[in-house]
Amino acid sequence: MAATTKTNTQLLIDGILTENPIFRLALSMCPAVGISTTVMNGLLLGIAVLFVQVASSCTISIIKNHIHPRIRIPTYTLTIAMWVTVIDLVLGAYFPVAYKAMGIFVKLIVAFAIITMRLEVFACKNAVSKSFWDGVGMGLGFLFAMVTLGFVRELLGMGTLLGHDILGFRPLLYFALPAAGFIVVGLMMGFFNYADIVYNRMKKG
Amino acid sequence: MKNIRPFHVLVGVLLVVVLLLTGCKTRHRFVKKTAFKDTDKIEIVFAGPVDETWAKDVGGYSVYEKPDPDILLKISNVALSPDKTTVTLTFEEPLNRDQPHILTTTEIMSEGKSLGAAVLTVKKLYFGYVLSILIGAMLINNFVFTKYLGLCVFFGTSQKKTTAVGMGVTFTLVIVFACMLSWFLYQYVLKPFNLFFLEIIVFIGLVSLSVQAVDTILRKINPALFKAFGVYLVLVIANCVILAVPLILADNEYNALESFMLALGAGLGFLIALFLMSCVREKLELANVPPTFKGMPIAFVVAGLFALAFLGFSGMSIY
Amino acid sequence: MKNIVHITVALVISCLVAGVVMGLTFTVTAKAKKHNEHQNVKDTMIALLGYGKANPAPSDLQLHPVYRYIIADGQTQYLGYMVPVRKGAEEAYDLVVLSLQGKFVEEQGLAISPEAAIEPPDREKALRAVLKPPKTFVYADQMVVAKLGDKRLAYLLPGEFPGFKTFISVMLALDPSFRILGLEIMESEEDPGLGGEIKQEYFKHQFTDKKLEKVRKLKVVKEPLPDEYKKYLETRKWKKGMFSKEQIENIRQKYEDSDIYAITGATISSRSVTNGVKGVVKKFAYRANRLDKVIASQHIPVAF
Repeated sequence: MAATTKTNTQLLIDGILTENPIFRLALSMCPAVGISTTVMNGLLLGIAVLFVQVASSCTISIIKNHIHPRIRIPTYTLTIAMWVTVIDLVLGAYFPVAYKAMGIFVKLIVAFAIITMRLEVFACKNAVSKSFWDGVGMGLGFLFAMVTLGFVRELLGMGTLLGHDILGFRPLLYFALPAAGFIVVGLMMGFFNYADIVYNRMKKG
Repeated sequence: MKNIRPFHVLVGVLLVVVLLLTGCKTRHRFVKKTAFKDTDKIEIVFAGPVDETWAKDVGGYSVYEKPDPDILLKISNVALSPDKTTVTLTFEEPLNRDQPHILTTTEIMSEGKSLGAAVLTVKKLYFGYVLSILIGAMLINNFVFTKYLGLCVFFGTSQKKTTAVGMGVTFTLVIVFACMLSWFLYQYVLKPFNLFFLEIIVFIGLVSLSVQAVDTILRKINPALFKAFGVYLVLVIANCVILAVPLILADNEYNALESFMLALGAGLGFLIALFLMSCVREKLELANVPPTFKGMPIAFVVAGLFALAFLGFSGMSIY
Repeated sequence: MKNIVHITVALVISCLVAGVVMGLTFTVTAKAKKHNEHQNVKDTMIALLGYGKANPAPSDLQLHPVYRYIIADGQTQYLGYMVPVRKGAEEAYDLVVLSLQGKFVEEQGLAISPEAAIEPPDREKALRAVLKPPKTFVYADQMVVAKLGDKRLAYLLPGEFPGFKTFISVMLALDPSFRILGLEIMESEEDPGLGGEIKQEYFKHQFTDKKLEKVRKLKVVKEPLPDEYKKYLETRKWKKGMFSKEQIENIRQKYEDSDIYAITGATISSRSVTNGVKGVVKKFAYRANRLDKVIASQHIPVAF
């Protein structure tokens, strides 16, 4: 039950690189595969997850001393569900077109293992400020992963970026299809693994 | 597996009830059934022979699509079968078979006697519609390969055939239970009071409740089964599919039978996906995979190939 | 025992707090959501009529929605049209009831303003005050009549029909002779790159300028789109001097009577849209004529 000793910036960087939720921890992959067809989709969902993660982390961190141990999980679920409903309603009202593109995935943020896990592992043991930065780090990691995936898939699949025609033709339409999400994520994971191996090799020798 | 028998009986009874309910009911005692035929015909089968003069009179029939009672469809031809019990109406333009059609006749003349006018409904078999929801959720819109939900659990438990099957069966049980509860709450609590924004919280609450309930029931009824599958129950909560299915049935406003079929299809589809994946992964363990790709990355690529294969199902319309 | 009470109280309090937060957000965002939706629909309609940022709509352009309901009284059914009428300087709604054969039955005034009529629950309240049980009514569809000055400019029809994946929601614009002025895809959930291409100009604009007779028999052809036709359709990519006025007219006449060229790899979506548009236009043409006859014979002071 020890509080963390990492500094705030360290938490941030950890969230984005070494403990990136999608590529290293392999959690919450459903949206990574399904929605990262364009950069805009990835961006919006990443922002939504960032908001829910930060809000939930802070809320749980504030009330961590009042949570009865037997109802830990229901409390986490309740907090996450509340913030997800809030962002769902806000997105639906102010960004209707983008919201429709994301379909059911905004509502499904509730079921993301990454957020619950973060609350369990971090927020219930640490102060508000540290939880805030951890949440931001994780959220940014997710956002970064989604945008990278969206970038690769949109460019290779449709030849556009954020809706603007860059290449003027469509290299491999397959990448824009949701089925390719698996393969692109798999390849990027392999790439991250490779980067990790090379980095370790460099550290040793 | 003796305790599965009551469940089998229940499913059997349900199927029989469905078949009986959805038999082609018409509202006239002399008309046995009505059905669509080809793309532009309607067939009426009578319980006995009808008079040729009445049957062949085009003016004796009027047909319209249920939502458009003011637009009467033009009949180009009427044919009577040799035994005089079947009338086939051919229309000028192809029929929109997705809509129920209302067919009104003037007084039916059989053997010189008038048997009263008839107002009949012609529509596709409900049973077929319900079956198409089942097969749709299982194969065409498979929740793992076509909708990309439930992936965390999918990759976590698909390493061995035994764990895969265990997870699949547990999941099917919980999802059917949770879905029926969600449907009930949605129809009788959320909808009447216009509380749509509480959907997420209510559904996830029901899922936790169902997991807890199945946990307790299984513990009491069949401890051996519980020992085998109990450990997967906790994982069910983290599964995106379990939240997606109630959301879908709320969106589409399905009734109880359709929700049941959707949940069953989702569960079975998940089971199929898990089983297929575990077969491949067991073989992959023995293959020579480069270290960068060992573990998750290669599993993803394989899943990608499966997803590509399942793309072949898309656009299939059973019914 | 104390534990359980403690837990229950904590849970109840958390639920209440969560409920309050969500309820608040809901009330704040619901209004914005409705407003954005209506604005989006209105903008699409104005764009379909040919106006936009570069060519703003003139001030005497009016949009009059007409709502159609199916009224059931026992075994008989009637058509009920909620039409905007001019009563002196003000605009209100009247309910014109027709029999299924198109004959006038009755006309009743409705206590509802044009702004309120946009919301279905308000319409239903006003109708219920006039159509007392055992009469029941069901919403069928609506059309918007665009008027410029005192001439009818166009009819705007929202429509919805099943597509390849789920429903496709469109907005059609027809001129007074029921020739298609334009088609806009409002909502669709088709695959990006395949069915999603119905939103592209080279598919949508194929429907423009099709006359009613052609639309009645419209089919989908599985052939590649001719190059010159494709360039002509993609109006957003036109550069200065690419087409002369003569060329535009020639291409337009050449393809006026052609069928719809399907999108490669998305035959089902192309067929769904074509059949959907065909159904909407045919049914509308049938009904619009009947309504106009009744309005003329009964001298109803409609606003359009």
